[in-house]
Amino acid sequence: MLIINKRNALEHAVKVLKQGGLVIAPTETLYGALVDATNPIAVRKLTRYKNRPLGKPYSIAVTNQDMAKKYVKSNSTAISLYKTFLPGPVTIISQGKHKVAPGIESENGTLGIRIPDYKLIIAIINKLGKPVTATSANASYQKRPYKISDILENISEKQKGLIDLIIDVGKLPRREPSTVIDTTLDDPVILRQGEIKLKDKNEVVSRSPDDTKNIAKELWQKYETFSGKRAIIFALVGEMGTGKTVFTKGLARARGIKDKVISPTYDIEEEYDNGLLFHIDAWRFEKSSELKYFNFAKKISDKSIVVIEWADRVSDVIQKYNEEAVIIWVNISYGKNETDRIINWGVL
Amino acid sequence: MKILAIDTSCDETSVAVTGGLNILSNVIWSQASLHAKFGGVYPSLAKRAHEERIGWVINKAMTNAKCQMKNINAIAVTIGPGLAIALEVGIKKAKELSAKYNIPLITVNHLEGHLLSPFAQPKNSKKQNIQNSKKIINSTLSKVTFPSFGLVVSGGNTQLILVKEIGKYKILAETQDDALGEALDKGARMLGLGYPGGAILEHMAEKGGAKVYQLPIPMSGKEKEHYFSYSGLKTAMYRLIQEQTAKNPIRKPSASNGAGELTKQQIYDLAASYQNVAFEHITRVTSSIISHYPSTISYLLVGGGVAANSELRKRIRKMCRKFNIIPLFPYSKKLCTDNAAMIGVAAYFKTQRKEFSEVITKLERIPRYKI
Repeated sequence: MLIINKRNALEHAVKVLKQGGLVIAPTETLYGALVDATNPIAVRKLTRYKNRPLGKPYSIAVTNQDMAKKYVKSNSTAISLYKTFLPGPVTIISQGKHKVAPGIESENGTLGIRIPDYKLIIAIINKLGKPVTATSANASYQKRPYKISDILENISEKQKGLIDLIIDVGKLPRREPSTVIDTTLDDPVILRQGEIKLKDKNEVVSRSPDDTKNIAKELWQKYETFSGKRAIIFALVGEMGTGKTVFTKGLARARGIKDKVISPTYDIEEEYDNGLLFHIDAWRFEKSSELKYFNFAKKISDKSIVVIEWADRVSDVIQKYNEEAVIIWVNISYGKNETDRIINWGVL
Repeated sequence: MKILAIDTSCDETSVAVTGGLNILSNVIWSQASLHAKFGGVYPSLAKRAHEERIGWVINKAMTNAKCQMKNINAIAVTIGPGLAIALEVGIKKAKELSAKYNIPLITVNHLEGHLLSPFAQPKNSKKQNIQNSKKIINSTLSKVTFPSFGLVVSGGNTQLILVKEIGKYKILAETQDDALGEALDKGARMLGLGYPGGAILEHMAEKGGAKVYQLPIPMSGKEKEHYFSYSGLKTAMYRLIQEQTAKNPIRKPSASNGAGELTKQQIYDLAASYQNVAFEHITRVTSSIISHYPSTISYLLVGGGVAANSELRKRIRKMCRKFNIIPLFPYSKKLCTDNAAMIGVAAYFKTQRKEFSEVITKLERIPRYKI
């Protein structure tokens, strides 16, 4: 282990990193542990040093957005976050392109990107031509390192032996670790399983939440005749805050359900009055096929009544049941005035 | 009394060992830590992950507590409310262990866990023996008088509760639509901050001005109706973001979501303004209800993930000063988010009342379990 100050730090660090070594260096947030993120042996060394549980991914540091593009597929949410917050202490998670060493990306193949606002690190990455790991230099569950002694006092001799180079610039100002933002839920594949085009365009304007509830009730009355003969699915599509849950409240009331209907975003599925109505929220789904974990096929064969919020996220699975079930697509969008909503519905 | 507690109500696989009210271990294998620090959480993964990890997490909790199954007096498990397919995994494991080691089982309501989490005590230092730990229990409990108020603020629930005594509750107000934690997550999402965004929103809000943007306080003037509601605030936020994005002439409006094309400072200010109003609503409704009760009630228990938010804690303290009420928060932020230690605490109180589950084979999950 070699301890140096800032002078010649760049040359030393790059040399060590090229040989698969582990470098402890100052960053804008705290002392970080750097290895070449594309070198499997170096990454294994880092995991041994950090004493980190298997399966816990690392973020990588790159110099700019162009370099990030080589390693992740950035969606529009990620791109605007880059523009607004990077360089800076923010880590942005996207789908990885599997161009880094094993153990860097998460189990799901996602990868966190950092663009540090710290000259030395940027210079190191530039000269190395490869991304480095962006992780704190402390061992897992140990204190955040703002000075070298914070690290050395809390690790074993064995761990010390794994460090090849320490760049000591003294005590760093106390800063919080970077904020981690996951953008993968906004991936286009998830957002649009398939565009829903309604043949018959029924459109009404709702002026208030009560109006929306009444429209739901009228729609129920229109399709009630199928009840008990086929499953009935209300597939709700609409931006955040347009009133999908309000619409469901109207349906529940029309079904005579007294129980309070609330947003099922967290628990994903709510069942009212012993199966009189099922209320599913696909907002947190990663893949449309996850609908099967909620016994969707059985709900169809049981001829259940099901409301699905964010149905556009699972439209391909819903459409498989076009024959067996009556599927009413309901699209709610914002209107001109604060409480106005435009509601169209139709059957495919 | 040593309890092995299991909670798989939603995203976290958590197992704890408690001795009375002392937390001997509290292991949380979160999907989030797997996926990235605040990574997304998805149902299929949730179930698979619980199944794959529960055995490991139980072992870890036992090792951390330096405990063996023969020392365990009861097994506690969350049976609801929560995500049905996730709850199942914990219940199955609890039944299995109960039968294998012949240990009585206690079923716990996840919300009661959050509510009673302020009673949790840290592990004793080495010097203290069991007698001393009893003293700690008594001092905490004797301090709190009943009835008291309780506030549970999490991703899935927002409830103000009258705690007549431990085990006897009345809901005084609850949400009509979104929970507070959910509203914060969705606000962050509208600002293009990914998911789950409550924690990120808190960071961003620290750098922004809470009064820069005007957002309507939900139920303003209607606090006496005594419920929480966040759907209107979400709508107002959506419109405000659209408006502000349109005002940035150089930045093109983003195609996929409303936000994203805001400046850094705009995001900070919008986060601060939104969080401000969301919290203002909670304290206004809570104040209105508290003012209807006799001033002899002098404690407010606060639990749930959003109770980890420093700004919310500040405001709750301020509100409580007005009523001469003492707010009690869990001693660690780890006890705010979903965890099994709080389940062990709630179960301990149940053992005091001799509420064990008798017909274990018939034990089932209750996804919409009420407190």
